[in-house]
Amino acid sequence: MSQVDVVWRRRRRRETRHLLVSVLPGALWIFIFLVLPSAYLMSVAFMTNGGFGQPQMPLTLDAFRNLAGFGFLGWSPGNLYTLWRSIFQSVISLGLVVLVAYPVAWYISMCRPRLRAIMLLAVVVPSWTNQVIRAFGWMNLLSPGTPLSTLAEKMGLIAPNMGLFPSDFAVTLGLVYNFLPFMVLPLYAAFEKLDHAQIEAARDLYASPLRTFFVAVLPQTLPGLLAGSVLVAIPAFGMYVIPELLGGGRSQMLGNLVASQFGEAANWPLGAAGALLMLLATLLGLVILRRMGRRLGGGTEMVI
Amino acid sequence: MQNRRFKKGLAVFWWLTLIFLYAPLLVVMMFSFNSINTSARWGGFSLRWYERLLHNDVVIGAIGHTLLLAVISSIIAVILGAMIGYGLYRHRARKLGLLIVLIYLPIVMPDIVFGISDMAFFVQINRLTGLLSPGLGTMVIAHVTFQIPFVALIVYSRFVGLDATLFDAAKDLYASPWQRMLHFILPTLKPALLSAFFLSFTLSVDDFVISFFTAGPESATLPIYIWGAIRRGISPEINAIATLMIASVALVAVLSLLFNRRRA
Repeated sequence: MSQVDVVWRRRRRRETRHLLVSVLPGALWIFIFLVLPSAYLMSVAFMTNGGFGQPQMPLTLDAFRNLAGFGFLGWSPGNLYTLWRSIFQSVISLGLVVLVAYPVAWYISMCRPRLRAIMLLAVVVPSWTNQVIRAFGWMNLLSPGTPLSTLAEKMGLIAPNMGLFPSDFAVTLGLVYNFLPFMVLPLYAAFEKLDHAQIEAARDLYASPLRTFFVAVLPQTLPGLLAGSVLVAIPAFGMYVIPELLGGGRSQMLGNLVASQFGEAANWPLGAAGALLMLLATLLGLVILRRMGRRLGGGTEMVI
Repeated sequence: MQNRRFKKGLAVFWWLTLIFLYAPLLVVMMFSFNSINTSARWGGFSLRWYERLLHNDVVIGAIGHTLLLAVISSIIAVILGAMIGYGLYRHRARKLGLLIVLIYLPIVMPDIVFGISDMAFFVQINRLTGLLSPGLGTMVIAHVTFQIPFVALIVYSRFVGLDATLFDAAKDLYASPWQRMLHFILPTLKPALLSAFFLSFTLSVDDFVISFFTAGPESATLPIYIWGAIRRGISPEINAIATLMIASVALVAVLSLLFNRRRA
């Protein structure tokens, strides 16, 4: 072995040691306190319920059967309703978020650069406050007797003295409120890069405004739209606080089902199975984001 | 012509959206000064709910827990996260894929899965060894876990923004790694570290779900207290606490922005 080789190898070993020393403490922390716990939780999903919530051997698929509604009293649709509501709520709120965020992001991109930063900040700042407080704000706005509820009552949208909260509607509203910034930011990133020459070209060719939009604007913002959709729909699917506070007992979503299994319902395996489902949804979202990032390029970096 | 009308329409929509975004917060703040016990009617200005807070030992305790948790977890997270950020930068030429996944994991993991995983894990550890009984300790552990990635990313991006030759210059001028650390790396990193600290602090104060599942009976933070109070029935007292929290988060956010601005 030559002298150079030895020096090189020693140097490389020192570099590796340096990497380990700097990275290992934090990486281990995440590994021990997040990777191990979630691996444990996933394994609980395949265990048997011990009656007081403690998971036991043997390994079964009971929890998943439970999640599909098969209990020891026979089949009941309760859990499936909850699952369906989670999907439904996240899809509906995603649609509404798009409807609000699209014009907003477009408008921000039209303003002067100095103004844009402030406007983006204005969109993001409310999400810095605690989500319990934000939901509480909506409770204040929507409970019976408030102007909004009275208005809805007068218009015949709700029964007298019911208030807009608690209800599925309040949950949807809360979700839209919560996730709006997650859509505005990636959409804005897409609008910022908008190639105006394409719009001019469409206009020069006498395309109607609507047609111009569909041919020259929408395709260009698609990456941002898709990135935002993942960032909104996936977390909305697993939302816990908003359905719990704004929904009342009959608007439960998957997150509430999971949480209650670790609390009063005391069925850890069932809860873990629900959590596993949520993780799978998240994984799916990440895969979509990555695929898109590769194919369409950009739009996904602006996420906090 | 049509373009201008379109933009005007968008402007109207923008202002409506702003109202939508700020209405719930403003309502909370407004009714914290309401003299009567309802959020449906305005009965005149008063500070009675704030006065009542001052005499509520549970709230004072919760404020203490919140701040203690935020400060301790942020300090630990800044140290561990900055080390990761530095390591990532120094060795960015290597293949670190798995490490990157590990770092992004706390960010992408759904809150509720995160919180419940930790809860279930801590309960089992506690059953086996008697350690990690739920309380501020377990909460600090969980908070540090979700703060580390943000710190690491901030520090990493600060390094990337630096001129790489600076490192060689530092190497040439200061012999020992410790001196390099003390005279070059830490000073250049200071704004990033401060901004990371403030972000970690905000994230900690902001968090509810993960805190909720890792908390013990004696370690309720403000968000957990508010949650419990809401479930017992809406009281204007909650408005007052919430207003204080909104104000303090806004303050910290502004501070962190200022540090960021100065850095740029």
